[in-house]
Amino acid sequence: MKPILISVLCLILAACATVTPGPEIFDAANQAIKVAEEAGGDEFAPVEMRFAREKLASAHKGMEKEKYEVTVYLLDESEINAELAFEKSRTAQSRRKVNELRKSNEELEANMHATFGDEFK
Amino acid sequence: MKLFVTRVLLLLLLVLLSACTAAPKKDLALERVRDELDSLKSNPELAGLAPLALSEAERALRNAELASGDDIKRSYMVYMADRRIQIARTVAERVQHEQTFNELESQRSEMLIKASNLEADQARAEADRARLLVATTTEDAQRAREEKEQALEKEAESARAAQLSAEEADQARRLAESRASEAEYARREADIASQQVTSLTRQLENLQLRETESGVVVTLGDVLFSSGQAQLVEGGRSSLEEVVDLLQTEPDKKIRVEGHTDSRGDAEANLLLSEQRAQAVREALISLGVASERVTALGMGEDFPIASNEDEAGRARNRRVDVILLDN
Repeated sequence: MKPILISVLCLILAACATVTPGPEIFDAANQAIKVAEEAGGDEFAPVEMRFAREKLASAHKGMEKEKYEVTVYLLDESEINAELAFEKSRTAQSRRKVNELRKSNEELEANMHATFGDEFK
Repeated sequence: MKLFVTRVLLLLLLVLLSACTAAPKKDLALERVRDELDSLKSNPELAGLAPLALSEAERALRNAELASGDDIKRSYMVYMADRRIQIARTVAERVQHEQTFNELESQRSEMLIKASNLEADQARAEADRARLLVATTTEDAQRAREEKEQALEKEAESARAAQLSAEEADQARRLAESRASEAEYARREADIASQQVTSLTRQLENLQLRETESGVVVTLGDVLFSSGQAQLVEGGRSSLEEVVDLLQTEPDKKIRVEGHTDSRGDAEANLLLSEQRAQAVREALISLGVASERVTALGMGEDFPIASNEDEAGRARNRRVDVILLDN
């Protein structure tokens, strides 16, 4: 009889533990925002960075209000916005590199024409 | 009946209302996201560039479509799907940029290769031009040199021709002279023939042969020259014929003609005289057929006596010309 009581008590405690998430649930979103910042997110994807931060802030509020389900959604949304900001930053940089090279090629071509005239096509 | 109609109408209204409110509202958001995904997948430039991100977006959208539960969860899942699609599009764009970048880079290196080829061509052409210039200059110089040489040759030729005619004239003159002198000589020889027979015999007796370290020495006694004179006495030349016969038996050997005097008189003068006499003998030998390059003449003066200078007999022996057939 006693072991059953103990296991029931354990189950109840466990249930309580899962329902009340710890502060570690913010880790993923925080980390994603940090990575996005390092990739130049504020310069290349300011909108997504703002969403990520706002959703993170809302998640903190949701946590305070013990609205854990919404908090988890908001954290996911914050994280994915940071992820999008990171990808957009990298893409913007690759676009910039392409544009620079294209411009440099055009200059080179003009130079060649100036140097070699019609021989260079 | 009226009640029934009213109920049916109400029901219809309800159905219509519900269709208008709940279901279409969710479908609209989902549809928009679905459209977005389809447009990404059908974009010929981006399709297939980010397969992993695209499949994640696809799964997120399917989850949203299948989601059951409250509106909050549903809209959350639609939101996630939407972001996943945007991520997929961004990644695909980046891959596209990378491809473009590579193309631009290969275009650039093509341009640079072409440029360096053109540069090389130009350098080659320049080098060719320079070579041609050098060749032309060299040719010009060569031509000038040849022309100058030809001119010089022509000049030399005419000089030679002039020399030749001068020599011919000279030879003719000399021939005439020699004939004259030969005639004269023959006449004189005939005149003095009787005297000579005796004197020549004496001369031949004076011909002495000695072996020395240098080679065979033929000593011509004190009969070829008058006292103090450097010219051969008459008949002296013919007295050398025997010597020449001897010399010609060894045609490869060099010959040294040494003039010697006795100790009377000035040593300087004696040296000069001995040299002149040696020279005279040399010329006589040559005129008798000895090759000129074989013979050298040397004045020895009074310093190499072979006898005493105290008495006349010894002095007579010292006054001599040695013709040495050199061993090497």
